[in-house]
Amino acid sequence: MAEEIKQVQKQNYKSNVKPIWCAGCGDFGVNAAINKALSDLGLQKSNVMIVSGIGCSSAMPHTFSTYGVHSLHGRLIPVATGVKFANSDLTVIGTGGDGDAYGIGLGHMLHAARRNINITYIVMNNEIYGLTTGQASPTSMQGAKTKSTPHGNLEVPENPIALAISAGATYVARAFSGDPMHMAELVKNGIRHNGFSLIDVFSPCVTFNDLNTYDWFRGRVYKLEQSGHDPKNKIAALEKSLEADTSGWEKVPIGLFYEENRPTYEDLDPVLKLGPLINQPSPSKEQLDKIMEEYL
Amino acid sequence: MLAKISARSGLHVFGYRGYQSIIRGGHVWYQIDISEEKLLSHQEGIDILVALNQDAINNQKSHLRENAVVVYDPTKTNTEILQGRNLRFVKLPMLDIAMKESGNPIMRNVAAIGAVLGLVGIDISIFESAITRMFTKKGEKVVSENIKVGSEGYKNSEVKQMFVIKGDKIHRHVIEGNAALALGAYASGCKLYSAYPMTPASTILHWFAEHEGNGVTYKQVEDEIAAINVTIGAASAGIRAMCGTSGGGFSLMVEGLGLAGMIEAPIVVVLSQRTGPSTGLPTKTEQGDVLFAMHASQGEFPRIVVAPRNIEECFKLSSDAFNLADRYQCPVIILMDLYMSEHSETTDAFNFDSIKIDRGKIAWQANPAERFKRYLYTDDGVSPRSIPGTPGLEFIAGSDEHDEYGDLVSDAFSGIDEYVETRRKMMRKRMNKIETMLKNEDVFHPAITNESAKNFLVTFGSTTGAALEAAQILNSQGMDFGVISFNYLMPLDADKTKKLLEGKSLIDVEVNFTAQLAQIIKSNTGIDIQNRILKYDGEAITAEQIAKEAQKIIQNK
Repeated sequence: MAEEIKQVQKQNYKSNVKPIWCAGCGDFGVNAAINKALSDLGLQKSNVMIVSGIGCSSAMPHTFSTYGVHSLHGRLIPVATGVKFANSDLTVIGTGGDGDAYGIGLGHMLHAARRNINITYIVMNNEIYGLTTGQASPTSMQGAKTKSTPHGNLEVPENPIALAISAGATYVARAFSGDPMHMAELVKNGIRHNGFSLIDVFSPCVTFNDLNTYDWFRGRVYKLEQSGHDPKNKIAALEKSLEADTSGWEKVPIGLFYEENRPTYEDLDPVLKLGPLINQPSPSKEQLDKIMEEYL
Repeated sequence: MLAKISARSGLHVFGYRGYQSIIRGGHVWYQIDISEEKLLSHQEGIDILVALNQDAINNQKSHLRENAVVVYDPTKTNTEILQGRNLRFVKLPMLDIAMKESGNPIMRNVAAIGAVLGLVGIDISIFESAITRMFTKKGEKVVSENIKVGSEGYKNSEVKQMFVIKGDKIHRHVIEGNAALALGAYASGCKLYSAYPMTPASTILHWFAEHEGNGVTYKQVEDEIAAINVTIGAASAGIRAMCGTSGGGFSLMVEGLGLAGMIEAPIVVVLSQRTGPSTGLPTKTEQGDVLFAMHASQGEFPRIVVAPRNIEECFKLSSDAFNLADRYQCPVIILMDLYMSEHSETTDAFNFDSIKIDRGKIAWQANPAERFKRYLYTDDGVSPRSIPGTPGLEFIAGSDEHDEYGDLVSDAFSGIDEYVETRRKMMRKRMNKIETMLKNEDVFHPAITNESAKNFLVTFGSTTGAALEAAQILNSQGMDFGVISFNYLMPLDADKTKKLLEGKSLIDVEVNFTAQLAQIIKSNTGIDIQNRILKYDGEAITAEQIAKEAQKIIQNK
C-alpha cells in the first residue's frame, strides 16, 4: 500500500504538519486520496476549505495547506454549510469519522443530503471510537467486543449508504483505504459532482479494531463498477446498499452506489443563486429607506 | 393597524401582546397605549376595552380603570358581569357591520378600530389614508372593504371623543423590537440569519424571510446546534452572520459559542428570553438568562453581552454588535426577552447614515517568505484574520488549543514545556481582548438619569422603560428618584460602574427570581444591593408596580 500512496502524491496540497495517526492507519490512504483528487482537479489551494469534526480522522485539515476549520464533534456539516452559504465559490470538503457523521452528527448529515448543498463529505469509517481509545461506534458490528461493549455489541450497525440515498444525497459512494487509487477517483468525482456527496470510507483502525482489519475487508469488498451496477437507478442503489447487511457482511460492495442530477440548495435559493453571498452588495440606502417605510 | 394609525396622526404608541401557547384561539389580547408623550413601557389598567368575545370581558374585568369604556358586540357578548361598576358602554354590532360591508366576519375588528378612533377623536381621514397605504398591495377591494367597515364602526360608536388626545401631526414609525433588531443587522451588513423556530425569537426569522434579497438571505435549519454552527461557518468564510433563539435553543448553542470563542469567529447571537426553566411559560417574559448568557460554554473566552433598553437600542445595539464582533473577533450576544422582542413602539425613522461598518483587522496581502500566522500574538489580543479565498493566507482554525499558525498543541503535544508556554501565551492573547475592549469602547458601564437624586432604581435591558416611568411617578409624588440602567452587561468597566453606584441609595429592579444584575454588580464592584423589586410571574413589570414597591421600601427605611 505504501507504494500506492507514494504514487498518488503528485502535486502537494499537504502541510508540514505531521499526522497524529498510528502507523498503518487507514486515514493515511484517505489523506493521499484527497491530495490526489485536489491535484487532478487542479484546484487552487486558497479556494479549498476542509472542515472536520473531532476524532482521529478530524485531524485531516491540519495535514493540508488549504483553508479549513477543525470544528466540534458532529458539527462539521453545519460549519461547512455556513461556509458554502457565505462563499459558494469555495470547494468545501468535510472530513470526519463514523462517530461524527453517524453518531452525534447523524441528523446534520441527513439534512445536508436533503438540502443537497454542494459539499463533499468524506467519512472515515473505522467501526470504532479510536481517539477515546476504543468504544463501540454506530457502525460497530453486532457482537463486536470493545471497551464499552465487553460482552459484545447488542446493536446492529447503522447503514449510512442506505440512509444517505433515502435522505436525498445526490452522490453516494463507498471506498476502502486499502485501495487509495480507487478512492481518489471517487473523491475527485464527488468534488466534481454538483450537490451533496457522501463518500463512506472503510478506514481500518489498526489499534482498537481487530475485527474490521484490512484483511477482513480485502476478502469481502468488490467494486460496483465491475458488477454492471447502474448508479442512476435509485432502487438498484438501495438494493446494493443493503447487500452487506443481507449477506452477513460476506459481500460488501464499494464504489459509486448512486448519482443524481438535482438542483442544489444554492441553485434554488433566490439570493444564493445570484452568486457567492460574500460578493453581493449589501442593501443600499434606498432599499433600507423602503423597508423603513413599511413601519409608517 | 390602530397603532399605525395613531402613530400617523402624530401620537406615541406602545403595544404589547398577550397570548397563550396554543395554535389557535385561547385568550389573546393586544394592549395599545396611546399618548401625546413618548411611552417607555406598557401601562397598567385599561381605558378602552374592545371585547371581541366574552373571554375578553371575563378575563380583563379587573384591569378596567374607573370610567373606562367597554366596546362590545351585543350579539356576541353580554356585559352583565360588569353591571354596577363605574363604566361606560358602547354597543357596537361589529359582526353585523363586518358581514354587511364585506361579508367577512374577521373584519369585525376593523369596525372596532373605527369605533376606537371615534372615541379618542382621531380623524377618519387618517384612517382612510393609512388603510390605503397598508393594503394597496392587496388590491382595491381590500382597501375599500376595510374603509367601509372602519367608517361604519366610526359612525356607530355612540359616544364621540370620550378621550381627547391630540397628535402633533408628525408621521411616526411603529416597529416591534425583533423587527428593529433584524433591521439593525440587515442594515449593518449581516448577510445570513440562521435559526430554528422558537418563541419569542421566531419573528426575527419571519422578518428575514420577508426581507430576503438585497444580498441578504436566511436559513431555517434542523436545530439550534446547526443554527450557531452555520453562523460560525459563514463568519469564518468572511461574511457577517447572526443566529437567534430563546433559552432552550441557546442551551443547544452553548458548545458552538465556545467554538466561536476559540477560533475567534465574529458571530452575533440573539437570545430572546422567556419564562423558564425548561419550557417554562413559552409565551411569557423573563430576564432569567443573564448569567447563563455570560457564562455559557466550558472554559474562558472573551464575549460581549448587550441588552437593548428600548426600540432605538434594538436597532442600534444590533448594528453595533457586528462591529464589536469583527473588531474583537468574538461572539456578541444580544439579550432580548419576550417583552422587548414583541412589543411595538413609536420611533423616528432609524438613521441608516449613522452606520459605520468596521470589519476589524483583516489581512489581505501574503508574505511569500512566511507562513501566515492567523493567531499572531498581539498586545491587544486581536490578530489579523484572512478571508478564505485569499491566496497565500491559508490557515486551519482549530477548536483545540493551537499556536500562532493555528496548528494544534493538544494531544501529542500537551504537557511538553514548549507547548505549555504556547497555551499560556495563546490564552493570554485571547483574554487580552477584554482589556482592549474596555479601553477602546466607552460603552461598558451603566447610564444614569437625575444624577443628584436621593434614590435610584437600578435595572437593565427591557425593564428600563418601566423604571424610568416609575421614577417619574415617584417624583410626581414628591419623592426623589433617578434610574441607573445597564445596556452592556459583559464585560463591565468595574471602576466606572462602581463610581456611579457608590454611596447611593439603590433599589434593584429585575424580572427574575435571583436578582442576576445585582449579582453581577456585586461581583464587579463589591456593592451589594439589598433592596430588590423582583417579578417572576411571566408578566412584564409595569411602572406602577415598581413605583408602589419602591415607595414601600423607602417608607420602611
